[in-house]
Amino acid sequence: MSRRNILIAVLLGGAIAAGIVIATMSRAPVEPRSAFIIPLPRELPEFSLVDQFGEPVNADTFHGQWDLVFFGFTQCPDICPTTMQILAHAKRELIDAGSNTLPRIVLVSVDPERDTPEILGRYVDYFGEGNLGVGGELGEVRKLTAALGIYFEKAPIDGDNYGVDHSAAVLVINPHGEFSALFSAPHSVANYVHDLAIVMEHN
Amino acid sequence: MVYRCDNYVFSIPFVFRSKTQLMLVLAVFLAACSSEIKPPLVATDIVITEPVPGREMSAAYLSLTNNTNELIDITKITSAEFDAVEIHESLLEGGIARMRQLEKLAVPANSTVELRPGGKHLMLMRPTKTVDSVSLKFFAGTTLLLGINASIQPRND
Repeated sequence: MSRRNILIAVLLGGAIAAGIVIATMSRAPVEPRSAFIIPLPRELPEFSLVDQFGEPVNADTFHGQWDLVFFGFTQCPDICPTTMQILAHAKRELIDAGSNTLPRIVLVSVDPERDTPEILGRYVDYFGEGNLGVGGELGEVRKLTAALGIYFEKAPIDGDNYGVDHSAAVLVINPHGEFSALFSAPHSVANYVHDLAIVMEHN
Repeated sequence: MVYRCDNYVFSIPFVFRSKTQLMLVLAVFLAACSSEIKPPLVATDIVITEPVPGREMSAAYLSLTNNTNELIDITKITSAEFDAVEIHESLLEGGIARMRQLEKLAVPANSTVELRPGGKHLMLMRPTKTVDSVSLKFFAGTTLLLGINASIQPRND
């Protein structure tokens, strides 16, 4: 092989390699790993609840930002704090990665009898700034959960003590106040970091 | 004649004058051997979460290894720092998170049981004092099996 032919071969090889790199970069990320994107985002129903500051919470509260909404209760020692921790951790990774669209983390209590605004406030604040804790009348919580397909039911433990069985999913509400995607349990920080960009892009 | 004791192999020559002498040597050998045996129940990877403010409870996660040839049933766990310790299991069925209380924690012979978030865990209820570390005692009936002490870890790590 002459010197010229070697040069051509090297240049050609380099061009192919560069092409592969560019194609790979422009292709990612497309498919979510865990999130289910709802084909036709749904508006939230009418409901009337309160946040940790005693301020009213209704469908309008969910306009203007991305929200990650989890339904749980503060006397849940394992699943709920673990999920809140994962959401908070994912948000911190998005901040570190320089993401300019950060979701708000919302805990809607499925045990509003025991979860007063004061208790909810201390609870959500523990997992970071800007989180929203939502409580209120049980019937009003039911209006929201029924429209979103969220299950919850009291489960007696012993004596007067009880737990609450509840859907472990995290719902994504888009800035138009529409239920647009869902993360099923088990949750992982990596899946949120990977999928949220896709969910937001899809909007 | 060769005996295997834990990871050590000993050979005992056939020079005993009597059965008594043989038994004596064997007794000494077995006593030495028993000191090499691992403790029956061992706790590792201990994580005790900080109680979330406003909530008087923590969760404890750990691995329990049974080094014996018998099943170990842990029927009671106590803590000097908490009013009550319960064994719980989180279950995820059909997308619904449930929690049930277990009467005992069974650690099969020569096996490890892992208590992890989203599975089996210890629920530490109603702290009796503010502390940085938590002591736990594991019992089978009234027999103390194991005592441990571990520091509390904040959740926002």
